[in-house]
Formats: sequence, structure tokens, C-alpha cells
Amino acid sequence: MAGRELEALLDRFILPLVKGGELAVGRPIAVDELRMFEEQIPHASEKVVETDEARADVLSDLVVRPPALVFDLDELSLAAAVHNLLFLVHPRADSWSVSGSARRRVIETAQEMAARPLTHSRSRVLARHALLHNLFDLTRVDTKVSWWTGSATFLGQRPPGRLRAWKTVRRVREEQTVATYDELLGTVEVAPVVSAILRRTPLTHLLSMGRDGPPLQWEDAVFLLRDAELARAIAYASVRGTEPRQVVSAPARLAAAFEQMLERAPHAADVRAVAAFLVHLNALLALGETGERDLGAKSPLLSAVLSPERASQRPRGLATFFAVPAAAALVDPLLAAPPGLSEDAALTERWTRHRAQVVEGVGEAVIETLAGRLRRHVVPMLESHRADHG
Amino acid sequence: MLEHVALGQSRFMTPGVAPDPRGILLGRYGLMVFPTLEGVVSWLRLYSAESPLDELLSGLEITQVRTPLGSREMVVRIPATSSYLLDRASRCAQLVGGATYTGTSKHFVKYRDDRAPYGYDANEIQALPDGAAFMVHGDGFVQTYGKERELPLDKLLFRLSRRRVPGGDKLRAEERHELYLVVAPGLGEGVIRYLWRNRIPAEVGLVTPERRSEFDEPGRARSHILFRARDLPPRILELFLATPGVAVFRPVSQNVSVEVGFAHLIDLASCQSLFDPARFYLFWGKGDRVDVVLGPLELSGIEHLTRVDIDLEKPATGDTMKLTQIDAVGVPIEVAPSLTPSRRVVAALIPIEQAQWLKRLVYFLPQTSLRGHRVALTDRGILVVANQDVDVIPLGAPLAEVAPGLLVPLGMDLVPRVAPEVLARSLGHGAGVYTVFPPGGHPFQVSDQALVALERRALARVEVAAADVLDARIEPPGDPAVVNDPVGRFALWGFRPPKAD
Repeated sequence: MAGRELEALLDRFILPLVKGGELAVGRPIAVDELRMFEEQIPHASEKVVETDEARADVLSDLVVRPPALVFDLDELSLAAAVHNLLFLVHPRADSWSVSGSARRRVIETAQEMAARPLTHSRSRVLARHALLHNLFDLTRVDTKVSWWTGSATFLGQRPPGRLRAWKTVRRVREEQTVATYDELLGTVEVAPVVSAILRRTPLTHLLSMGRDGPPLQWEDAVFLLRDAELARAIAYASVRGTEPRQVVSAPARLAAAFEQMLERAPHAADVRAVAAFLVHLNALLALGETGERDLGAKSPLLSAVLSPERASQRPRGLATFFAVPAAAALVDPLLAAPPGLSEDAALTERWTRHRAQVVEGVGEAVIETLAGRLRRHVVPMLESHRADHG
Repeated sequence: MLEHVALGQSRFMTPGVAPDPRGILLGRYGLMVFPTLEGVVSWLRLYSAESPLDELLSGLEITQVRTPLGSREMVVRIPATSSYLLDRASRCAQLVGGATYTGTSKHFVKYRDDRAPYGYDANEIQALPDGAAFMVHGDGFVQTYGKERELPLDKLLFRLSRRRVPGGDKLRAEERHELYLVVAPGLGEGVIRYLWRNRIPAEVGLVTPERRSEFDEPGRARSHILFRARDLPPRILELFLATPGVAVFRPVSQNVSVEVGFAHLIDLASCQSLFDPARFYLFWGKGDRVDVVLGPLELSGIEHLTRVDIDLEKPATGDTMKLTQIDAVGVPIEVAPSLTPSRRVVAALIPIEQAQWLKRLVYFLPQTSLRGHRVALTDRGILVVANQDVDVIPLGAPLAEVAPGLLVPLGMDLVPRVAPEVLARSLGHGAGVYTVFPPGGHPFQVSDQALVALERRALARVEVAAADVLDARIEPPGDPAVVNDPVGRFALWGFRPPKAD
């Protein structure tokens, strides 16, 4: 990153992070340097505006009217934290000149940069998501060049021309592999910082639940479900895919996070919101099958993912996900089905068939247990509500 | 002979069996023994109604076996992927008089029942005698069987007769959503015309049986016409069912249809993998036959196949008319006050000077009035003709119709009072022409084609500029890829950690 100007950082790292393309990772950014970059923001207006426009383009897929975005210290700090984490997988960061304590210093710096205030502001959440929406899609092309006397590996770097010259005579062979999220940001060393970043951008976390990543803390993200437009975008992103296992992967992770939430002491209203959202996802799966020829037939999706033969391969949280509507029905019937369900006869029939199949597939014991755990959080609220309203 | 398996038991005498996660003894296969083929069919019928046969087809084998004493029995072998599956198979087999065993290769032990919920294990295993393919260990007996012949399921499926379903030809609306008709070639044109007249969306294609018949005429293919009709009303369905030469089929899956009023013993939708997706299968009820059409079905809309009448000998234009001279003894036609009750006003002749009034009135007229009036601008005034269902614009001289197209001022009549057709002939009046007798002056004629709907005439030419279409698409984002810049050997030289506050 020649010159270490903000404009270069925007052009070569932040803009590709938003729009896609090659993200150049160089020396880690120190806290002092970050302050210097902050002072340069007004002088790099051309790239800043380009970044904001690219972020607005990203959001236009999610919301009808993206908020006005202004690149500031918040985005700069989060981007610098990601940059520093990516430096840790730079080939130079593993060389003899970088000691373990030096690596720890880089992680501490990234942690400090990621420690931005948590927010419930819609504009701030959207702004952060637009910056970091590609976090789980980052890749790196690694090239291994072998020749007749040896070999060399280049991680995210182009091999020099001298090694690739005279291919036939020197018997040069090049093998390319692609490193994904797991290798770049999924290591144990950087996991706490990645979790901290994702807590700051819960929308990114929710929209990427179909991918591998740190577990979700519903308490940080539940406020997004109260925004109908964002909740709809999250719901559709959660049931994306064509293969049955792919379709239920994100809902299962969301339900696993819900199980964890029930073990803590969340607000009853939050529990109700998450339960209603999971019921809504169940309804979307039923809605997807209303075009079937025989509405009373068993659901192929549920048969595939809940078959007893594949019980051992079920992703964690899957049984809970499908059991939520039945468990909610035992606790509070208002939560058991999404409003308006009865207005569509085909959807109602499919929903009823799904529920019957779920009882067969997951068993009543699972439903009873989940209902018991839900009751602990929801019933006190219902009782106090009844007491308030006579 | 048999011992009850205990929970947690891990060693068994029977080879190739092991407890499943529920602790139930299970081999690789389940084996169901039936005394007759009817038992096998009944089992397939029961099982397919409850669960798809497709999941069993990878290892399903139907075999006719023989005991050492020469009696014949039927055996169905299915893969025992789980004890849930085998529970269902066993329950169905019990209902139709069969017995269920489990094992892997040669020794099969009785599958679990109420007395032994974890299954049975044989307490003694003997070598199989010569000629025996496998041995079953039951309650108090051991039986060996030799294989005689195999019966593939697909062959069995095509051989089974369809059974008539009481009331099966009364289809519900969703069952009538898509139906196939197989029609004899001679009836094809009639059926196409009938469907088209009744506005039934349908597609049609010609299908030719692959197998030739000795009775076929040489050089002439024996073919049927296949229709795919949508939302057939019940009355038309009844008519087709009662018409010889027309057979109606109801689809049970993408490429399998069964004749209406009949059902296959086995649920065909549950064994879809037996049917080649590139073919279309028609299971006839009455004839007990299965027609296979080499697919995929490519059908054409019937609206393009309705009958076309072409007569090249017929002249393309109308008759040639000859103008005759008025008889020298005739009297001129005049307009005189009418003695008959007043007629309905159907038109108005507005003087050119009142054109501005008409223009102003146009702004206040409702759409139905605008659409219901036709107007022609002539040198004698503006002729406005109204349709049956609207009242004429109250401007100019109102005109009534004494004969079709013959307009006279309201309250007037034509004298002499001759028959309208005689009058029309003498005036040169005919269809497509309006003959107008204005309140004063000579009559004139206006061609029907000259009358334009007022809503079209009312609008002056509107200049509409072509707008540029802007491309508001956003380019799809690219894939973000990390590229490592060269950072030198001492990348962290001078790098300072955050200060602890």
C-alpha cells in the first residue's frame, strides 16, 4: 500500500471489499495511522463518494430506500480491523521476523478497532452491512509452482515470471487452490475479533446464516426482526437454495441460536419475536409447496431432512426449528401460526400437513420439551399482561 | 429355535445382523414370505399407499421360491435401511397374510413382534443343504427355499389389471384441471371443433403406436390423436366418457396417466423411478393395456387446427349491382308529418356551425357515451349515430329510423308510404349505408365506414415525445479476492500496539 494514503486504502481495499475485486492487503494499520486516515477523509472525497455509492447499490437489493450513507470513522475502523485480520494470513506474518507477541499486538489492535459501539439504529446497521456484506465471501487464490528441482507456494500472490519461464524444459507445473472464509477468518486465533465485528453488524450475520461462521447471539440481532422490511429480507435469505439440506441450513442455525437464547435470561418480548420469526420461516417453507399437485401429500423437503435414516446427519437446531410452531401452540396459540394463514386455503392445507409430518419426524417429546422451555419465558409475560388488563 | 433379543445385546448367532440405534435386531435386508402372488400384490398396494416405493427400489427383489417339498411361495426382499421402514413393511405384510424376516445373505430370522420388541435371534445355525438359496428361522420351524424365478416389479406393474373405482368418473374441479384424451383419428376434427367452440384450452398431437398390427393398411400409419385439455367442465367430461372412440385419462404423475374411472392397484406416483422420464405412459382401464408414447410430449394448440373452408372457385367480391332508371310514372319521395307514434331517436344531424358546441360537450360526456356514438363529418353537417344502448347527443336535428339505415327527422315520415324494401331499392339504399333526409333539403347518403367512433374522433392528434429509457440496473458485484502486497521482511517494524488507557 504505497504511501499509506487513505485514498489508496479506499481504492485498493475498502472499495473492492464492497464491490468485489482484488483487495490488497499490506502492512497492518496501527491505531495512530487510523487517526491519520480519519483526518484525510474530507480530502479523499472522490473515493469516499464512490464507496458510498457502491454501498447504496448493495443496499438497493435489500431495502427500497437505502439511507443516505456517509463514510466516517465507524466504517474506517471496521474496515481497518478486517484488514489487520487478513494480514495475519499474509505469508510474511508467518515468517521468522514476526513473533507470536507481534501477532498478538496485531490482534489487539484489530480488537480495539472493532470495538465500535453496538447500535440499534437502522441507518447505522445498514451502513455497516453494506461495508462488510462480503465478509463470508472473501477468497484468496494460492498458487503452487513446481519445477524439476523444487517447488514454491505463493499465497495470494502472483508467482514471478522467472519461475514460470521455459515451462516445457524446466517441467513447470502450476496448481491453484482457493482459500475461503474458513482459512482466512475462521481460525481460532482471530475468532474473537470476527465475533466482535459481527456483533457490530448483526444484519450481515443474519443474512449469512447459511454459511459457516461464529454462532449468533439473538439478543444482539432481535431488533432487526421488528423492522418489517429487513425481517422480510432476512427471511428470504434464510430459506434460499434448492437442495433440501441447503434450504434448512440457515433456519437450523437460527433455531440453534434460539435454543441457546432460551438458556439465558432474555426479554420475553425478544423470545416471542424470535419464535414468531421461526414460525414465519416454517410458513415460507409451506408456501413454497402450495403449487404441488397433491396438497395433502407428504412434504418431500420434510421427508428428506427429517427422515429417521438420516437422524444422525441432521444439523443442530433442525428439530427445534420444525418443532417451534407446535411448541408455541402449546404455550400461546397467537404465536403458533403466522397471521393471515387461514386466508389462503392451499397454504393452510400445506401448513397442516407440515405440522402433522413434523410431529411424526421429531417426536412429541422434543415438542413438549421445547414448549416447557418457551413457557418459562413467555407465560410470566402473558400473566402480567392479563393482570394489567384485568 | 428362536431366542428373544435383549436390550443392549451385541452378540448374535445369526450371521449378518446387528442392533440398530433403537436396539432392534436388523440385517441388511427384510424378507417377506407370501403364499401366493396375490399376497405380494396386496402388500405392494398397501405399502405404496403409505410410503413411496421409490425408496425400496434400489434393493427390491420379488422371487418365486420352492420348498424342499415342492410347494411354491413368493418372497419379497427389501433393503432394511431402518427399523421404522421394516416395521411398516412388517405391519402391511401381516395384514395380507405374510411373514417378515430379517437377515443379510442366507439366514433370515423372524422380525420383531409384540412378544419380542427387540427381535429374535436363532439359537442354532446349520449349513444350507444343496440347492437351497436361503433359510428362514421362524417360531418353531426352519425352512429352506430354492429360487425358481425372479419377477421384476416393472413387469408386474404393467401386467396388473386396473380396477374400476365406484364413482371414479365424477372428478373434482382440481382433478379436472388437466386431463388427457385419446381420440380415434376419425373423431379428431369434431373434438377439436367442439373444444374450441366451448373455449376449452387444449393442445393436441398425433401419436403412433410403436407396435405394428397385421390388420394395418399398408402405407398408412395407425395413429391416435392425443389431447391435453385444461379445466374440462363436468358436462363435457361426461359427454367424452360416454362417447365411443374417446378415452379420458387423468395424470397421476408427470408422465403417467390412468383412464378416468379406473385406478391402478399400486400407487403409480410412489414408484416414479420405474418410468422412463422420456416416455409418456397411458394405463387403459377397459382394455387392460399400457400404451407408451415416445416422449417428451410436444403438443400444439387446438386454436391453430380449427377447420378452414377454402373455395377457390367462389368469387372474392360481392355481386355486381346495376343502377336502374326511376320509372317515368313514379312520384318523388317527400317528407311529411308522421301519423304514427314517435320513434326512438337514433341519430342527429348537427349543423357545421354548431360544431363548437359538440366539441365542448365532448368534454362532459361519460366514457360510455363517447364509445356509443359514431360520427361523420359531411358537407351537410355532422351526422352523429348512437348505438342501441345510449341516448343521442341533444344537439342539431334529431333523426329517427324508418327502416334500417334510413333516417328521417323526428315526427316525420316518408310519403308515399311504401314498403321499406321498395323504398330502399328506389333510393339505392342498402346495407352499410345511411340515407339521411335532413329537415330541409335533399337526402344524402353516408357510408357506414365513414362513421368513426366519437372517442377516436374526439381526440386531436396528440404529440407524444419518445422518452429515453434509462438503464437503472446495478452491475452484479464481483467476487472479493484477497491479494497480498509485498510488505518486506520487517512488516511490523515500528508497529505500535494500542495504548492501554
